[in-house]
Amino acid sequence: MSRPAPCPIYTLRGAGAPLNTLHFRCPGGDTPLLFSGSAKGAIHMWNLNSRRAEMVVEGHCGNSVIWVSTLQSRDSLMSQGRDMQVCLWDLKEGRSEAVDSVWTGSVGFCQCSLLETSPSNYLLAFAGSQTEEIKIIEMPSKSPVSTLIPDTKLGMVMCIKLWKSDSGLGPLLFAGYEDGSLLLWDVTQRSELSHVKAHPEPIMCLTFDPRHLRGVSGSCEKKLSSWMLDNQNNIQLQDCVMLVNPGVSQLRIRDDSRLLASAGWDHRVRVFGWKKLQPLAVLQYHTDMVLSLAFSDHQDPRQRLLAAGSKDQRISLWSIYNERADTG
Amino acid sequence: MEPGSEVRLRVAQCFRTLSSSTDHGDIIDALKTLNSYLNDGAESRTTSAEREEFRRCHYSRTLRVLVGQLQADWMHSLSAAQLSQVWDPLFLKGPPDQALLVLMEAVSELSPSTGLDRLVCITERFLQSGHLADLLWSFCLQPAPSGSPQLRETLLARLTSLPDITANKLHPNNRALFVPQRYYPLLASEMLAALERTCQALRGGTDCSSTFVAQTLGKVCVQGHSGPVLAVMAPRLAVCTRSDMVWQRVCWKLLENVPERWMESVLTGLVQAVKSPDAFSRIVGNLVLTNKKAHFVLTHKVLLLQYKYETPVLRTLLGYLASDSDRRPLLIQVVRSVSQAWANPSAVKHTPLEQQLYVSKTLLLTVSLLTDSELQELRSDLLQCMLGGMQSHLDSSVVRIRTMGMVVGECLSSRMEINGTKLKFEYKQNEETRELLSLMTPSMCTEPEPEPADGADFAEETREPSTHRSTSQSRPASQRSKSDPDSDLDSDDDLTPYDMSGDQEMSRASPPRYLRDCLETLISSEDSERVELSLRVAESLVRRNVFAAKEISVQMTKVLLHMEDKYSIDGFLALRQAAMVALTVIDSVPVTQHLTTEFYSLNYSLRQRLDILEVLALAAQELSKPASDKTTPSTSTTSELTSYETNNPADWRQVVDKRIQSKTKLISKGSTQPVTKAAPNRYAPVAGYFFFPLLRNYDKPEVTFDLLGSDQLVLGRLIHTLGLFMHLAVNAPIAAQMGAALLDFLWAVRYHADQMVRRGVLFAVCSVFLSVPSQSLLVDLSEQLFETRTWLA
Repeated sequence: MSRPAPCPIYTLRGAGAPLNTLHFRCPGGDTPLLFSGSAKGAIHMWNLNSRRAEMVVEGHCGNSVIWVSTLQSRDSLMSQGRDMQVCLWDLKEGRSEAVDSVWTGSVGFCQCSLLETSPSNYLLAFAGSQTEEIKIIEMPSKSPVSTLIPDTKLGMVMCIKLWKSDSGLGPLLFAGYEDGSLLLWDVTQRSELSHVKAHPEPIMCLTFDPRHLRGVSGSCEKKLSSWMLDNQNNIQLQDCVMLVNPGVSQLRIRDDSRLLASAGWDHRVRVFGWKKLQPLAVLQYHTDMVLSLAFSDHQDPRQRLLAAGSKDQRISLWSIYNERADTG
Repeated sequence: MEPGSEVRLRVAQCFRTLSSSTDHGDIIDALKTLNSYLNDGAESRTTSAEREEFRRCHYSRTLRVLVGQLQADWMHSLSAAQLSQVWDPLFLKGPPDQALLVLMEAVSELSPSTGLDRLVCITERFLQSGHLADLLWSFCLQPAPSGSPQLRETLLARLTSLPDITANKLHPNNRALFVPQRYYPLLASEMLAALERTCQALRGGTDCSSTFVAQTLGKVCVQGHSGPVLAVMAPRLAVCTRSDMVWQRVCWKLLENVPERWMESVLTGLVQAVKSPDAFSRIVGNLVLTNKKAHFVLTHKVLLLQYKYETPVLRTLLGYLASDSDRRPLLIQVVRSVSQAWANPSAVKHTPLEQQLYVSKTLLLTVSLLTDSELQELRSDLLQCMLGGMQSHLDSSVVRIRTMGMVVGECLSSRMEINGTKLKFEYKQNEETRELLSLMTPSMCTEPEPEPADGADFAEETREPSTHRSTSQSRPASQRSKSDPDSDLDSDDDLTPYDMSGDQEMSRASPPRYLRDCLETLISSEDSERVELSLRVAESLVRRNVFAAKEISVQMTKVLLHMEDKYSIDGFLALRQAAMVALTVIDSVPVTQHLTTEFYSLNYSLRQRLDILEVLALAAQELSKPASDKTTPSTSTTSELTSYETNNPADWRQVVDKRIQSKTKLISKGSTQPVTKAAPNRYAPVAGYFFFPLLRNYDKPEVTFDLLGSDQLVLGRLIHTLGLFMHLAVNAPIAAQMGAALLDFLWAVRYHADQMVRRGVLFAVCSVFLSVPSQSLLVDLSEQLFETRTWLA
């Protein structure tokens, strides 16, 4: 007999707008925080102990915030808005002021991707002003590293993921395009390493597990398609996972590479085992599309949470599969 | 003096001694003299001519004299050793045929005594020491032992019915060897031994005849012992004939010599005992071509007249017909006749289902054996068979026959490849359809019989399992290696899934909340999703809003009745039916009036008419059930509740009751079941509305609907439904009138050709007898009752 479907351990309300993006910051001693970016341009900083919004940053002139992230090294927050700006915020000592900003020129919904190369430097990848263009710049100097434009017409860039492999190659980048193509770029060489057609429809989201060199991408159809990278850096499509209802807005893999979560347009979050992609749970709470997902980065694995932000203006927090945290 | 008369004199002298002498020495001398005529050895005192004479003329008589003297004094005074030395050999060493005859005669005549026991012992030894084989072999030799045909006949009868004779006589003390289960296998092995000797003799250049053995075999088989006999013989024959041409010849000759009147039982027994077509064809040869009786039995009787044989038997027989180019025309002939039999509409109607299944199997097996060129030749026949046969099978009202027709049609069409198209039906897979389908794949049944002589075969057989084993071993290994990377410490296996049953398809629209909205959607909406949702909630809406439902019940029924499954909604039929039943229950009178009128009106399909009947039947069933919503909470629920509310001061009564109960001695416990509350039967007042309108127009054929003609399916259903109404109307005041009307109606269709209709009639008559009160059954319906009785008798 299977266990009954789980319930959220608590929910966060009051954002007042659909929640496009979520980001946890749970450092060891400090208060665990959850950042959320809303469609009305507000970035909420939720205190997970008091379960209240500790600070609200209005930074993109009311334009929808589509991505937030924090830098490991400093108390600074990055956010991307539909006003074509990526802003860097200083949050030290309760301040909330933009210290820097980058103009992207992208009118799409493609979220940026961040890769910290050293304690002081990091790479930022974002969709550029041209349709298929991806730009990578080095921060904080803002010096451009490369601009990636595919040879063929693939439509808009839908999602990107910047990562660095252990094999010593330069930073690599996965990019999903509007026509369903999935490309692997070598950022420093500016060359396409691999190109597959993963979906017939635009790729809505993708995520990648650098430890196992496997990734998964979602589209507006009823399936997730999983793929892996072989030794020659070719993307090999693997089996698909069928969903009950079509549409996935975000995919996340937990840090220990055991769980995959998908944010469904059908108001549900689905949890899969990452190894074999077998379905484990369907989290039903929201009354509208789930737009964003995040696994927390708690040091203690037993405290790990899954947050889901939805169009119904709520964030639900779930604690699942934390029982046997010693493996992985 | 010539030897004949001398022998006669001496034998007569011996007889005199045996009958009159009282001196042991004389008697033993006489017996020894007689024995000397049977001993061939070198120390024998008699010439071979004398011995020959004795065997021919005096042996039987000698034995008879001995049997006659069983009660004589000298018999009792001789010691057992002396008897076994001089008395027993007389029976065991002489010509076995005469000995058997005398023994059997004596056993059946004597009354129980020590003498009979002695004879039974001798008979047992006679059988045990292989004298039957000698007997059979003596008749195989070309100058067969003299004797009239009558004598042969008697011998044959004794030989084949030995178990019967002994059982009749010895009833409680019968010997184990004489029981049919032991005797017939023994006889079979003796026959094999005789055949073996025949083969050797033929190799030696001697002529032999297998007529007597064949007669024995035939007689045994026709007496119904073919099972045990051929179970012994067939495997041995199959092995022997595999490489030995002489054996084959002997087998063929043997079967040829089986008299015609016994041929059938031998062949049917053989075809069941043999395991493969090859073995059967080696044993039987081309008998089917030369012998008329065999031809009739194998190509007609077994296939078309009888239907008791298992599928492997059919495989053997048809494989036999197909395995030789001479017999191939017979296979074609069989295909023709079987396909005709399969397609015959009257056979579909009037033969038992088992036989139809049998014929279907035969047809599929034969078709699977045909080659492509033969198929081309038979194409038109088969096509005709398929089209006609399919029609008559699909017309049938029996589901199994319809399914059979579909399966056979599919198989035939796929085999014939008519322009590359194939028939494809939807039917439920079950044991039967799977078996039929499997017949199209020819089974590669190799002969399972072990044969140490045939080394190559044996080696192959032993090799096969070993390769199987190795593949089966390697498979899990490969699976293991494949799953290896996954079997890390952190595999997903320890993540037990949560219940995911709530993960259903999302629907965008919301279901209608008002009955009128629902009806509106059903009438006019083109949005598949809304139609589906409306249909899904229709039943609950109707039941929830009784008053609203009554306003639009007839209109909604009409809409539902005409609704088509345009959007292939899951469970469409059940949903529609449930909604219509709900309407009929809520607002019985107008809806039933509408439905019963529509049943006989012009423009409806059979499906719709059947729907009407189903809806009415279900609604009547629901109405006649006691209303379920007024169930009173039983006492058991209260006690359950109190078990965890012990702190509640209100349950003091419970405590008191318990105390009283513990102090009270119960002699017997009354019924603890709560009395079910009586509720009025909601069906009784409206039963007439359900029932009578359906009887009104059955004999008025419309252009599209001819109840008494071709639409027998609906008629059968109608009668069944009427019977159900009758059954549910038990205790209703109107039951007597309904019964009378129903019997009147049934009178007209009692002898209908379709079996489903007749079954419905029986059901309806039963329900009349069950439901109509007995006094009115006898008084008002006496006339009909009388007629029905004569019909049923």
